[in-house]
Amino acid sequence: MATLIRMPEVAAGATEIVLAKWNIQEGSVVKAGDVIAEMETEKAVVDFESETDGRVYKVLVADGASVEVGNPILVLLAEGEEASAGDALLGGSAVGPVASVASVSAEPAVAAADVAAVVAPPVASAVPTEPAATVLADGTDRRFVSPIVRKLSHEQGVDLTQLVGTGPGGRIVRRDLEAFIAQRGPVAPDSPQLGVQPTPSMPASGSAIAKQEYSSSYVTVPHSGMRRAIARRLTESKTTVPHFYVTADCKVDALLALRKSINETSPVKISVNDFVVKAVAAALMDVPEANVVWNPDSMLKYESADISVAVATDGGLLTPVVRGAEKRSLSNLSTEISELVAKARAGKLRQDDLEGGSFAVTNLGMYGTKEFTAILNPPQSGILAVGAASPRAIVEDGEIVVANVMTVTLSADHRAVDGALAAQWLAAFVKRIENPLSMLI
Amino acid sequence: MTEKIQLSPKEPWIELRTTPEDWRNANPKLLENMLGQMHLIRAFEETVLQLASEGLVHGPAHSSIGQEGGAVGSIVGLRGTDAVNGSHRGHHQFLAKAISYVAPHGLDVTHLVNPAVQEVLQRTLAEILGLAQGYCRGRGGSMHLQWMEAGALGTNAIVGGGVPLGAGNAWAQKNAGTSDLTVSYFGDGAVNIGSVLETMNLTAAWDIPLVFFIENNLYAVSTHVSEVTAEERLSGRGTGFGIPSWRVDGMDPLAVHLAMQEISEHVRAGKGPAIIEAEVYRFFHQNGPFPGSAFGYRPKDEEEAWRNRDPLARVANEMINLGLLDQAMVDEVRNQAQAAMQAAVDQLLEPDLAGKPGARKIRAELWPSVDFVNVGVRGDASELAGARTEELTSFAGAKEEVRFVDAVAAVMDRRMETDPRIVVLGEDVHRLKGGTNGATKGLVDKYPGRVLGTPISENAFAGLGGGMALDGRFRPVIEFMYPDFMWVAADQVFNQIGKARHMFGGDAAVPLVIRTKVAMGSGYGSQHLMDPAGIFATAPGWRIVAASNPFDYVGLMNAALALQDPVLVIEHVDLYASKGEIAQGDFDYQIEFGKAAVKREGSDLTILTYLSMVNHSLEAVEQTGVDAEVIDLRWLDRASLDWDTIGASIKKTNAVMIVEQGAQGTSYGSWLADEIQRRFFDYLDQPVQRVHGGEASPSISKVLERAAIARTEEVVAGIHHVVEGFGKN
Repeated sequence: MATLIRMPEVAAGATEIVLAKWNIQEGSVVKAGDVIAEMETEKAVVDFESETDGRVYKVLVADGASVEVGNPILVLLAEGEEASAGDALLGGSAVGPVASVASVSAEPAVAAADVAAVVAPPVASAVPTEPAATVLADGTDRRFVSPIVRKLSHEQGVDLTQLVGTGPGGRIVRRDLEAFIAQRGPVAPDSPQLGVQPTPSMPASGSAIAKQEYSSSYVTVPHSGMRRAIARRLTESKTTVPHFYVTADCKVDALLALRKSINETSPVKISVNDFVVKAVAAALMDVPEANVVWNPDSMLKYESADISVAVATDGGLLTPVVRGAEKRSLSNLSTEISELVAKARAGKLRQDDLEGGSFAVTNLGMYGTKEFTAILNPPQSGILAVGAASPRAIVEDGEIVVANVMTVTLSADHRAVDGALAAQWLAAFVKRIENPLSMLI
Repeated sequence: MTEKIQLSPKEPWIELRTTPEDWRNANPKLLENMLGQMHLIRAFEETVLQLASEGLVHGPAHSSIGQEGGAVGSIVGLRGTDAVNGSHRGHHQFLAKAISYVAPHGLDVTHLVNPAVQEVLQRTLAEILGLAQGYCRGRGGSMHLQWMEAGALGTNAIVGGGVPLGAGNAWAQKNAGTSDLTVSYFGDGAVNIGSVLETMNLTAAWDIPLVFFIENNLYAVSTHVSEVTAEERLSGRGTGFGIPSWRVDGMDPLAVHLAMQEISEHVRAGKGPAIIEAEVYRFFHQNGPFPGSAFGYRPKDEEEAWRNRDPLARVANEMINLGLLDQAMVDEVRNQAQAAMQAAVDQLLEPDLAGKPGARKIRAELWPSVDFVNVGVRGDASELAGARTEELTSFAGAKEEVRFVDAVAAVMDRRMETDPRIVVLGEDVHRLKGGTNGATKGLVDKYPGRVLGTPISENAFAGLGGGMALDGRFRPVIEFMYPDFMWVAADQVFNQIGKARHMFGGDAAVPLVIRTKVAMGSGYGSQHLMDPAGIFATAPGWRIVAASNPFDYVGLMNAALALQDPVLVIEHVDLYASKGEIAQGDFDYQIEFGKAAVKREGSDLTILTYLSMVNHSLEAVEQTGVDAEVIDLRWLDRASLDWDTIGASIKKTNAVMIVEQGAQGTSYGSWLADEIQRRFFDYLDQPVQRVHGGEASPSISKVLERAAIARTEEVVAGIHHVVEGFGKN
């Protein structure tokens, strides 16, 4: 019997998945368990296995397409089955929603490609103010811009993402740019003879000259799926989650001394960050009210300390999760984190390495950063931004003394965690980190 | 019982054969010259085949081995100022004409090759190899050998294609007051093609001194003459056209020579053309070093029989019999010819040390520079330098209002008055008080012999004009009554006239004007109503002008007639009756070369248009109120287009619409849109928009014709479309 395969919910809560690459083509014979495609979620590439034997009749989405979960992606025929069985599936009500999605794509050029039609989000193109972006088969957000607008916006230093195209198909046309600039007010243009009027009174400032120099050449690097995911998620977080921040200085002389003595004997080299993660876990146990996640109609109270650790990789930021950190010994925690970091950098994290977690730690101390604030990693309610430990003058018992101090800033989701609770948690953290032996018990 | 009266042709058709007495009476110097020339050609052709077998000849090598007698026998008696042209198999005729030109007193078999002859051999071989020192700088190769100085007008790779051009050359010879003649060589395969038959008719009608030399070698590639024609004696074509015709054994060079003497007498006396059919045989296949029998279309014994009649042996044996030389001397002639070819080869080739033992290659420094690829597609228009130019908007003298078509006739009148080289030819141009539209009004009486009503043979009279232009003593103005007729004459218009300058090396001027009128709206239907601009714009070599008003027409026609290139002048029936201002009594100015006219300045949209659509566009702009800039292109071809004006306007408006009237497929705007997006992509705010007719050719039915073409309403719709592209801001 012919089977219509739909985009699975590869990652919990995902609404769109990028079909990174098909390993089959139309006509291929597949066996149950064969990896027929690679799916790219926001955090990882996942192998997608066929659940049945069969022969590929139609591939409905192209490599690289971003597909809504539940939309059809493939038609498989049973061995010996006629094409008509596959056509019946495609023509029947089973794919009714797909047809309706396709029908709203008003750009003929886009509608012509059936792949694009399947994945095109419902864009009400009749509305003239719709931004000139649509999702094409290659999964890119495509903004249609006329050539002269590209040229002028570059010369004028206009970020086209701020413009709404009103030309055919939502194309950003010259008049859109001119209206935008008229509203924004002029800046020193690179090329005064071109269309947009410069302000004669504007002196040639040093920054304008610098811009000219630097804007004269650049290379365009297409976004990876990960880069787009980072951009989308963090934009969503920063713009929809009410962040607030609490900061504390931690004296870490005791911690550094303890670390030194442990590392003299331990087969595993413990890092400052390992202590930080351990302290975060302990603080979450100390103040369990802070170990929560905001849901629209409920609060999730976590019982264990599952902590995301931010890892910088060549492709971008990844946040694998250390589960049950409160139960782990320092050396076990250290080993676990090392393994996750290595997997992240090798691109070998699995989806479940990345899922869950109620709290995150991000540490830029190794770069000498003194202090910073982090953006929450949804749906988590807290992220601790850790700066570098360094000798600083502090006042202790009325005396100026030198101590190794580490500044940490907690970003919290005010929907889930109020200010006082955040302050309590931070105090618990400081207590733990300044008394590291308490974590070893 | 009907009465039957035996009719006889107007002109004789005879077969001429030599007798022993003819050989005895032949001038020994003539025989010596023929023997020497044939040996040089034979050795030359053997060399070409050898190089071809080594892979050193790019493209076909059509050898004339076996056919030397026809070429040498016919050319040896010509004047230096007589001319020849030929077909794809033309090495022998070219060499015979070139050698006769550099050795006008004949060859001496004891010293066969002097430096001038050696140079002819080397440069001809170089041309066939595609090398810069060739007569056409390597552009022409084996099939396009031209040396105008020697009267070698150019061989031709289109079967029969050179014959109308030969007629044009002959017309020029006669009308320049000389008694020179032109011989056009072609094969049995070309006898049945329209160009040849049309030209037979035309030259006979007008007593043009052209000799049709049919080399009947029995095979068109592999097809025997008996398979494709009932009258296999191909000289029989002549009687139907009133042309005296000779048939002669082409393996007997003396017979050919004697026939040509009779023919020359007839033709030089102004009695019109003649036909000579020489029965010859190519010893090898169509091209390459294998006999035809190897391809199975003719038997070996047939080849053997013809080989036994080798014209070289015939002349040598006759001369030995007459005691003029001995076999040793004959062998020495061949040795000298082969040595000369070896010397030529040594100048062009060198050992290929990277190849197989004994391999040779062309000396790398002898190839043309690749920069040369597009040089000389047309002239540089420097001939227009210093001409007085005027514009209607700035003309200071007195003006008067006239009908467009009267300006057409008036400027031609003025030019014919000042330039005796100008000749007008076309269908009915000499009657109906100025042709079918009045465009040649008054000219036939004022300039007798220079306004020529042609037979309905577009290929022949277009080619006739092409031949006149290549000769250079006359400036033909050819009228195509409707533009679609260019397809009938397409070989002459595009393959011959348009390509001639470039193909033959880039220097030869082709000063020729074709006038035609776009007739959309006149109800003449699918086969009369095209706009030819798009086709000519995409064909190399042609310049194109189109005027939207009589003042511009005068200046553009004057420029067209001054240019050394073929120029298409497009008119429009809608404009003929329209009135416009011209300079009163002043028909001597030009419109500046390559200068468009901004008919309306505007900032929102650039409309590029020409001919009658200029006025339609201006109307449409007024109706819509859009601030469009309307540019009358005037000079339409790739090399003459005013990119400065177009570019400045596009950079200002960022939106372009190309407006024309005719069908989509052959449209002018398609190539222009392509060029615009290449040049101005970064200045465009929307796609290059187009207004043009439908896919179908306009029909007779009035409503269907209207629906098939563009006029003001379509331009209005086009402007609305462009405005949509402006967005909502």
